[in-house]
Amino acid sequence: MAGQLPPPPPPQWVLDLTSTTTPSKPKSGSIPDPPGFTSTTALTTKQSKSSSKAITPRKQPSPDEMDTLKLKKAWELALAPAKQLPMNAIGMYMSGNSLQIFSIMMVFMLFKGPITAVLNIQSTFQRLETETNRTQMLGVKAAFVGCNLLALALGLWKVNGMGLLPTTRSDWLAWETAREPLERAYYVPS
Amino acid sequence: MLLPLIAAAFLLAGSGSAVFTDEAWNVDYHYALLGQPKQSTSFFHQPNPSSRASLVYTLSERGVLGAVNPRDGAVVWRQVLLAGASAHNASFLRAGEGQDVVISGIGSQVAAWSAADGRQAWSVDFPGPLEDVEILELVDGKDTSGAKDAVALSGGDQPVVQRLDGATGSVKWQYQLSGTDVPYQVSASTTEVFVISLHKTILGYLKLKVTSLDPVSGHKMDEHMLSSENELATADTIVTVGANSASPINAWTDSTHSVLKVNIMGTKGISSFDIEKHGGEAVERVKLHAPYHINSLSHFLVHYETATSHWAEVFHVDLKRGQVEKAYSLPKLAGRGAFSTSTSDANVYFTRVTSDQVMTVSSASHGVLGKWSVGGFNVAAANDETAEPIHAVSEVSIRGDTVSAVRSAVLLSTGDWVLLRDGSPVWSRPEMLASTVSAAFATPAEVEALVQQLEAEAHSNPIEAYIHRLTRHVQDLQRLPAIIMSLPQKVVQGFLGTSVDGDITSDSFGFHQIIACATQDGRLIALDAGNPDKVLWNQQIADLQPGQTWQPSVSSPKGGVVEISSKASAGVQYNASSGEQLVSILPIDVTADQAAQEVKYAMHDGGLEATVDSSTTWHFMPTSGERIVSLVPRPLNDPVASIGKVLGDRRVLYKYLDPNLALLVTANDAATAATFYVLNTVSGAILYSNVHTGVDLSSPISSMLSENWFTYSFTAEASGDSPKGHQLVVGELFESLVANDRGPLSSTANYSSMQTGTEPFTLTKIYQIPEPISKMAVTRTRQGITSRQLLAVLADSSAIVGIPYGVVDPRRPIGRDPTKDEQAEGLVRYSPVIDFDPRWYLNHQREVVGVKDTITSPALLESTSLVFAYGLDIFGTRLSPSFSFDVLGKDFNKFQMLATVAALAVATCVVAPLVTRKQVNTRWQFM
Repeated sequence: MAGQLPPPPPPQWVLDLTSTTTPSKPKSGSIPDPPGFTSTTALTTKQSKSSSKAITPRKQPSPDEMDTLKLKKAWELALAPAKQLPMNAIGMYMSGNSLQIFSIMMVFMLFKGPITAVLNIQSTFQRLETETNRTQMLGVKAAFVGCNLLALALGLWKVNGMGLLPTTRSDWLAWETAREPLERAYYVPS
Repeated sequence: MLLPLIAAAFLLAGSGSAVFTDEAWNVDYHYALLGQPKQSTSFFHQPNPSSRASLVYTLSERGVLGAVNPRDGAVVWRQVLLAGASAHNASFLRAGEGQDVVISGIGSQVAAWSAADGRQAWSVDFPGPLEDVEILELVDGKDTSGAKDAVALSGGDQPVVQRLDGATGSVKWQYQLSGTDVPYQVSASTTEVFVISLHKTILGYLKLKVTSLDPVSGHKMDEHMLSSENELATADTIVTVGANSASPINAWTDSTHSVLKVNIMGTKGISSFDIEKHGGEAVERVKLHAPYHINSLSHFLVHYETATSHWAEVFHVDLKRGQVEKAYSLPKLAGRGAFSTSTSDANVYFTRVTSDQVMTVSSASHGVLGKWSVGGFNVAAANDETAEPIHAVSEVSIRGDTVSAVRSAVLLSTGDWVLLRDGSPVWSRPEMLASTVSAAFATPAEVEALVQQLEAEAHSNPIEAYIHRLTRHVQDLQRLPAIIMSLPQKVVQGFLGTSVDGDITSDSFGFHQIIACATQDGRLIALDAGNPDKVLWNQQIADLQPGQTWQPSVSSPKGGVVEISSKASAGVQYNASSGEQLVSILPIDVTADQAAQEVKYAMHDGGLEATVDSSTTWHFMPTSGERIVSLVPRPLNDPVASIGKVLGDRRVLYKYLDPNLALLVTANDAATAATFYVLNTVSGAILYSNVHTGVDLSSPISSMLSENWFTYSFTAEASGDSPKGHQLVVGELFESLVANDRGPLSSTANYSSMQTGTEPFTLTKIYQIPEPISKMAVTRTRQGITSRQLLAVLADSSAIVGIPYGVVDPRRPIGRDPTKDEQAEGLVRYSPVIDFDPRWYLNHQREVVGVKDTITSPALLESTSLVFAYGLDIFGTRLSPSFSFDVLGKDFNKFQMLATVAALAVATCVVAPLVTRKQVNTRWQFM
């Protein structure tokens, strides 16, 4: 009777502590998650993994198909700035030519967007670039730069409208000096 | 926690009035002046017979009649009777006992003014200049009720005595004086009116002729000559011909002031008194002080003055025996003194004011009834000069047998008019400033000293400069305790917005400039534009004889220095802050440009003549029948920030900028035409000219030239198609009227007007203005960035207006609305009539009377220009034509700003733990 009872199952927290699931990256800041903390994302991925197992895997496309797909995607990316142009133009037109914080911020964004896009062009197309479609990608990149230049031109047009470009005589007036007379006349009151 | 809040609330309430009051009465200052009073035309008088408080009335040397409140020295009312009067104009001011009018006489006009408010009751014009005005106190021994009549004597070709009705001014009778005698004075006793005239004997001496008239009918009753022997050579030694006392007297001395002769008017007897020689010094002046009241005792005081001392003798007139007796004498005192007569019932009191005491005696005995020592007059004077009383009028209050209080309005030798109450100064009025003829702004010498030190540091080698700087800072450290002591006060003041803008030494805005004023009577007076309540220094710089005039011109050739030049003498320089004369006359450095060739031009034979190295280069002669009215050169220091005008479409219209421009105005009296020329003063070329016909040449023509624009105003006579009106013409000179075109010289670095003459393109506009402008000036700022205001002195409404340039801009479009680009420039459609906006009036509701000229000076702040107007009144202000864009105004709510900052700080402290808690919670909550 006095048989030894089997040892009780370890409590949940021991299991949690000894479980080997890698702690996920903390959600915010540099504060490490407390021990045993399982982030919600980790839980959901577990669930999705288990559910996806049910679906039969799709047939992988062939490399040729993959290239065409990637090129298609790249063209989409390259022409995206051009699609935004009409909306930007309308926004610029609506914001007026006066120097106000709103219009200045809009113009700033207008300049910042294309310039950063052009600078990050390599990283943008890196995922889509393969050994085989490299030559075709050159045209895509050129189109991308061209579209961004169009956006820049829109910005320039706007800045010119706001009178910020030194294109007129009055902008250089401060550098013109008055002529010095070689004679000075003084009135001598008598 | 609650306590600071309450304190803050109190602070806010306290600052409420200080922060939001209009700056109108803070930045500007105004002295309503009368001019130096004369002894004979100043007195205390009750404005109403019923009132006990009296006012001080005076008709000053400048021809201004005014009433001053003896309590605070404020002008109750004033009237300018004769503009441009000087000390030589004979003027009279009388007030009958218990009357509510004062009667003035100046020029050829007698007028009666309500004593309480200065309204004119009546005025009468005489054919000749007035010689005397008196009031008939009694007629036939009876005290008349109602207004008392006046008797006036006029000279000229037909000397005449008139009795004027006191209520209406109508002539009751008149008596024509015959013969060649010069009428001198009129006097009245209870029963007779005496007319004294000067009869010239064959030997060239003068004799007094006394004609007595019946006061009721004006018929001649008697006439006799006083046998003055050969004593009277000129009328100057006649001491007095007493007026309305119980027994009018005649008194005169010989030319050496050795004997005093007194005659009781109406009798022929003459009493003769030897004038004692005190200390062997020659007696320079003899004055007689007698009571003006008919009921008072017939006692009088004779006041003798030598160059260094003065004394007095009191005489009694025995009416029954017709004799004059000397009663007692007042001791001799060093320095100058002033005596004044006051009456109380029949008693007569003499008050003696010297530079260290005030003393009152009764006319009956020499016992001192009251004596007060004078600590000082509390006026600015030069170091070696002590302010001495020149003359005084007094009011005594008698309690029992002693004088309980005495008030004396004393004119000092410095020109200040001071009221002494029992020997202590209550107020002072700087009446000497009323005769300012020239003024200039100067930088304080302290500021200039620092500038020089910094320059020395800039021009020495680095080590020396470093040592220099170190020693300077060590010296500055000595002032540290004082600065620390004043720090809390400064903080509080800055917080409340009540801070005066520092003193001269710590003046960061350049508001404390020194204004040096040269007056007609040879004094130089300095005011601080940032603290105009008191005179900095005041000194006699020209010793002018009576009748002598000078035309000084004040200028500041360099910082910290004031220079006076006049026709008679070359420039004399003074330290601007202390007034010390600078011994080493520094050569005037014409800072403009040393390399430039100098052309000098001056008025010569009714035209202009210019010389280069003493050889004549050009002449300008007006056509025959024309005379030069005025010449306005462009100011030497006239900075211009931009050489062109930016149009609305951002193109540039280039200004015609030439420092050698002058605006010349000539008038043709026969043709009633005025011609205006803009001249190039190097080559003598006429750049622009315009003739206006039908100009009223008797009204002022003012003109002004600055930068690239000129303006003038005149009064046009009525003609067939236009009514009489005042016009303001503004013209602007451009290199070219085509935008972006810099003219034929284009962008060459320099040019010679003698070799290449370019002509400007001129745009002009004429405006109708509501009243004539007597003088024009323009605001000046440090770099010329700020827009300009045209300052116009309106003599008719005693005001100064600042007209913004945009209002008179010659580029205003005519007959159409401005285009969008023009609107962007601020141009509005041309309308020929300009009404002076009430906001343009710099003087607000005050009357700035008799302004002759206005001077301006830039402050250190670019937005601000200092303005100072002088003439009779002194007025000064600070102007910001483009508003004060570089300094926080008084309406800036410092408290609100600090409160916002504090509130934000508190909010941060409160919110920070909440945010931390929330962040921690997000960690510990699932889903």
